[in-house]
Amino acid sequence: MSEVLAASEAAATDVSVPAAPGARPFWRRLRAQRAALVAAVVVALLVLVALAAPLLTALEGQDPTTYHPGLIDSARGGVPVGSFGGAGADHWLGVEPQTGRDLFARLVYGARVSLGVALAATVVQIALGVTVGVAAALGNRWVDQLLSRLTDIIVAMPLMIMSLALLAIVPQSFPRPVLVALVIGLIAWGNIAKIVRAQTLTLKGLDHVAAARLSGWGAWRIARRELLPGLAAPVITYAALLVPTNIAVEAALSFLGVGVKPPTPSWGQMLTAADVWYQAAPQYLLFPAGALFVTVVALTVLGDGVRTALDPRAASRLRVGTGRKREAGAETPDTAAGPRTAGTDPRPRTAGTDTQPRTAGTGAEARAAGTDKEETA
Amino acid sequence: MSVFGGLTGFVLRRVLGAVATLFALSVIVYVVFYAAPGNVAQITCGPRCSPEQLHQVAQQLRLDDPLHVRYWHFLEGLVAGHDYSTGTSVEHCPAPCLGVSYQSGRQVMSIITAKLPVSLSLVAGAMVLWLVLGVGTGVLSAWRRGRTSERVLTALTLAGTATPVFVIGLVLMIVVCGEFQWLPFPQYVNLTDDPEQWAWNLLLPWLSLALIEAAAFARLTRASMLETLAEDHIRTFRAYGVGERSVVGRHALRGALAPVIALNANNVGSAVGGAVLTETLFGLPGIGQELVHAVNVVDLPVVVGMVLVVGFFVVIANTVADVLFAVADRRVVLA
Amino acid sequence: MRQTSVIARRVAAASVSLVVAAGAAACGPEDNDAKSTGGDAQPHKGGTLSVLNAQPQEDFDPARLYTSGGGNVPSLVFRTLTTRNRENGAAGAKVVPDLATDTGRPSKDATVWTYTLKEGLKYEDGTPITSADIKYGIERSFAPELSGGAPYLRDWLVGAADYQGPYKDKKGLAAIETPDSRTIVFHLNKPEGEFPFLATQTQFTPVPKSKDTGTKYEEHPVSSGPYKVVKNENDGEHLVLERNPHWSAATDAERKAYPDRIDVRSGLDSSVINQRLSASQGADAAAVTTDTNLGPAELAKVSGDKALAARVGTGHFGYTNYIAFNPKVKPFDNPKVRQAIAYAVDRSSVVNAAGGSALAEPATTFLPNQKSFGYTPYDPFPAGASGNAAKARELLDEAGYKNGLTVTLTHSNSKDFETSPEIATALQDALKKAGITVKLQGLEENDYKSKIHDVKSEPGFFLAHWGADWPSGGPFLAPIFDGRQIVKDGANFNTGQLNDKSVNAEIDAINKLTDLDAAAQRWGALDKKIGEQALTVPLFHPVYKRLYGKDVKNIVISDWTGVLDISQVAVK
Repeated sequence: MSEVLAASEAAATDVSVPAAPGARPFWRRLRAQRAALVAAVVVALLVLVALAAPLLTALEGQDPTTYHPGLIDSARGGVPVGSFGGAGADHWLGVEPQTGRDLFARLVYGARVSLGVALAATVVQIALGVTVGVAAALGNRWVDQLLSRLTDIIVAMPLMIMSLALLAIVPQSFPRPVLVALVIGLIAWGNIAKIVRAQTLTLKGLDHVAAARLSGWGAWRIARRELLPGLAAPVITYAALLVPTNIAVEAALSFLGVGVKPPTPSWGQMLTAADVWYQAAPQYLLFPAGALFVTVVALTVLGDGVRTALDPRAASRLRVGTGRKREAGAETPDTAAGPRTAGTDPRPRTAGTDTQPRTAGTGAEARAAGTDKEETA
Repeated sequence: MSVFGGLTGFVLRRVLGAVATLFALSVIVYVVFYAAPGNVAQITCGPRCSPEQLHQVAQQLRLDDPLHVRYWHFLEGLVAGHDYSTGTSVEHCPAPCLGVSYQSGRQVMSIITAKLPVSLSLVAGAMVLWLVLGVGTGVLSAWRRGRTSERVLTALTLAGTATPVFVIGLVLMIVVCGEFQWLPFPQYVNLTDDPEQWAWNLLLPWLSLALIEAAAFARLTRASMLETLAEDHIRTFRAYGVGERSVVGRHALRGALAPVIALNANNVGSAVGGAVLTETLFGLPGIGQELVHAVNVVDLPVVVGMVLVVGFFVVIANTVADVLFAVADRRVVLA
Repeated sequence: MRQTSVIARRVAAASVSLVVAAGAAACGPEDNDAKSTGGDAQPHKGGTLSVLNAQPQEDFDPARLYTSGGGNVPSLVFRTLTTRNRENGAAGAKVVPDLATDTGRPSKDATVWTYTLKEGLKYEDGTPITSADIKYGIERSFAPELSGGAPYLRDWLVGAADYQGPYKDKKGLAAIETPDSRTIVFHLNKPEGEFPFLATQTQFTPVPKSKDTGTKYEEHPVSSGPYKVVKNENDGEHLVLERNPHWSAATDAERKAYPDRIDVRSGLDSSVINQRLSASQGADAAAVTTDTNLGPAELAKVSGDKALAARVGTGHFGYTNYIAFNPKVKPFDNPKVRQAIAYAVDRSSVVNAAGGSALAEPATTFLPNQKSFGYTPYDPFPAGASGNAAKARELLDEAGYKNGLTVTLTHSNSKDFETSPEIATALQDALKKAGITVKLQGLEENDYKSKIHDVKSEPGFFLAHWGADWPSGGPFLAPIFDGRQIVKDGANFNTGQLNDKSVNAEIDAINKLTDLDAAAQRWGALDKKIGEQALTVPLFHPVYKRLYGKDVKNIVISDWTGVLDISQVAVK
């Protein structure tokens, strides 16, 4: 499922967001979208719950590891005693079958692992993607060739399959959540590197960057002062959509038995243990599934909102055309004069397919455009 | 330089690039997996294996050779095939030879070819479904934008994206096969043996995989359609009184198809990833299930072989997509 | 040691374990042997029996299979010199003749065993089965390419230790003589009163030399049993068996062979198997499973449904899950620390983690609680149902750990509910009450096995299990506690590294006995003596609970295998 998410998010992500708008208009535009606002509140709450997990469980008077054998019926496979999975004043969401551990405590501690792994993986992906993308765009032909090839290889590695295989061979002494985050981060940075490279090439051709180059600034200074601010928008947009993908990947890997290991509670881990309890103790499955669902939906909606807020010009079609023509041009020596800019391409939707495998770049933008129209209509 | 020549050059570069990518992928994958720790000989030989047996197994598996020698041997096998001993006889592993399984002693290539029809059946059928579902939903929600029905559809696609396939699949199976008994519990039947049973048994796995993948297509279709609908020539159509159905159904949809095809071509890796989960859940004997098994018993030749084969498909699909778009793009420019 | 065959290779969601079982012959009302399920209970010939399994029937070669009593599906194709008695309960733990006319005639000191084949035995192609074929079948199991079987033949046969099989060493094994085509004689290097049990394993299946294709033999092994292989796809993933016309019921008192055809499907998720068996629709009405237990979640559902509960077969297989200590590692060199842990263990939460009281029975003895093993109840460190933390603290004080103790518990990450994280976390929670902080070290199955079975890397404190190669104390105690079986440079199973002269001597003395009842009693006494050393802490004996389809009749579950015997089942 996870990669599917990657696809959907990539499909919906454009690579051609121009330089970042000011912070204030960004917030204004984000606030203008009701759905995104609600999503932002939900995400903030989730993060808060994860951070305050010890506090919340203390409030409940439980912890995620203590067994309560008295609350389960051993002869019936350890199903919780009482209705609603033993929910009540002591155990707000009831207890886990077979162990009697407190479900609420496990859920909120699980949020820490699930969100933590996903965020850490995203950080690794962005760090790698931005570094490789910028280096490829600013480096000479050989550097670009080498890094672009490397990116191609990374993109060709099926995330699910590689991480499944990798996680199985790394020694178990390695802390598991860190490992899962690292593996996801190390395998799935190809798309973001492609986006960043394309965007950097675009920015490089812009006047003020060219001016900076002519005035003899070093590559590092240019990258820091002129390029990184311009990269912020697409990177933030992409990151907002990577987080839910990574949450889903972690869950899927746990399902296949190579993710975070018990007793560490993660949502994926809980789902894995719970899915057979669907009939006997439905709440055991429904709570982690619901939490995962809400998180992924909220993050996705928020990601959409962020993109819309960052790219208001999408609606007015003043876009920087991206995509395979320019990309191909950049790769072709005889036309490598430099990237063409701005919406000269009559069919921008065919663009982006090269810079961004499995994404037709325009999709997202068009969607953003649509959203904008809706909001203003 | 003729236009066609430029295109040929582009295609050639793409194909060469793909070959180079595949080669590099094989090096990386091979080194990563074979350099990893773990006593392969012990695992292969089984518990209570005598030291002599252990030594023999190690020799047979060429575990004492340095890594680059083994990789070279692997590459030779890939290009030219090679012979190996089964104890009673010498067997030939024809090119492209991906090696021999540590566990079962079968050739990796024959394991993969035996499993491939299952995975292809799964992915191909699911693909039809997710295209129909995804594009259909996308068109509908673009057409009905701003109305309640559109919001419901959007919510549904989000739900599809946000629910893990192993939850959807299991719940579907319990409800559809267990409670109501509308469908048989999926069990793979060869297409050539009984096409009707084949489809009937695969319906649920197709649906589970498709529900998840469809969301991406729905979002993309809707977005592209909205963009096209906003374009000048559509306005012109409308101004000329072309019916709304025709505008949406023919002109706008046509414009949305290109990105959908692109997304689909580039979706191979993702689909195989989804297939791993689906096959594991439904017990379909495809390459995904085999990979999970191979990973669990550390059957490295099978793991490496499978990763390479899937990588191969991904690279080919990406290259084909690129080339198709180069062709399409030329036409656009020429037109 | 039936480890490999039992290990769950499932990675899928399911919490159904492939747990194996043990238990007393007389163990309560649940122990219904479910002879039939009402209605027309008479079994008839015909129909197709489906087998829905999680694990493929890999390496379907008699040389490579590691079975207890010849296995379930393998036993339909491979006949052996002796076999298990196909009867319910404790009677099923007996060994009976199969190809041979009796269970073997020992020499006075049980070092020479002689068998005579029945008359009129034929392979699926109508050619006669000879004693030379049995000798050849055993010899080829020594070939390194066909490894996988139990180690006993190599350990017991004279001059077999370095034998490399008939492909490399054409002379064959001198320890096996075939004076005529119906007689076979085995020469052992030490007395082994339980040789008839060993002769139930598939290595004692005749293999015609002219049909041997080495590692490819598994694709179509030549049948000596009631069914022959007509299809073997993907290394045992899909196996189809049909009647062997040359098999004669007159020579085979054990196998009923009612169905005409047997269709074995594997690679299925265990929750799917149980869903299908409980729905029992279409062909699944005539389906059974030979490797998938009901999981706790399914048990909760089944227990509320009478019709479904009537279709559950309950059985016991000689099997023990336990904590193992390596006394070479501190602080487990101190018996008081080991005893403290034994006292602190909460068996009720461990049993819950293993699936609840219906799927696991708390264990205080290393031997399974069955008569044939010589079960002698004892509990040297009575912890009660949920642990005696006070006594444990007291012992820790005496051992010099007044302020508690931190230890690492090694376990596997497989989802088998045996050595898996669920059991480990239950122990972690219980030991906390006694002031012992447990850190968990979860290892992938293969990594785990290679670590715990290597004296150089063996951890001090880990989860382990042991299953019966045959229902007797010998193969249960000797590999684990015989000091001469400590293996320094290979896979070692004497994890406590016990080398006690009196224990070794007693094992030798019992092996000389050919009176198996007398032997059982002494195994039980020996178990008690070893148990007092706290080298292991027995946790539980699993119970098998398995669903079968609604058309399935003639259910026979022996204490030998604990699962319904597929050779007895009828679907008409």
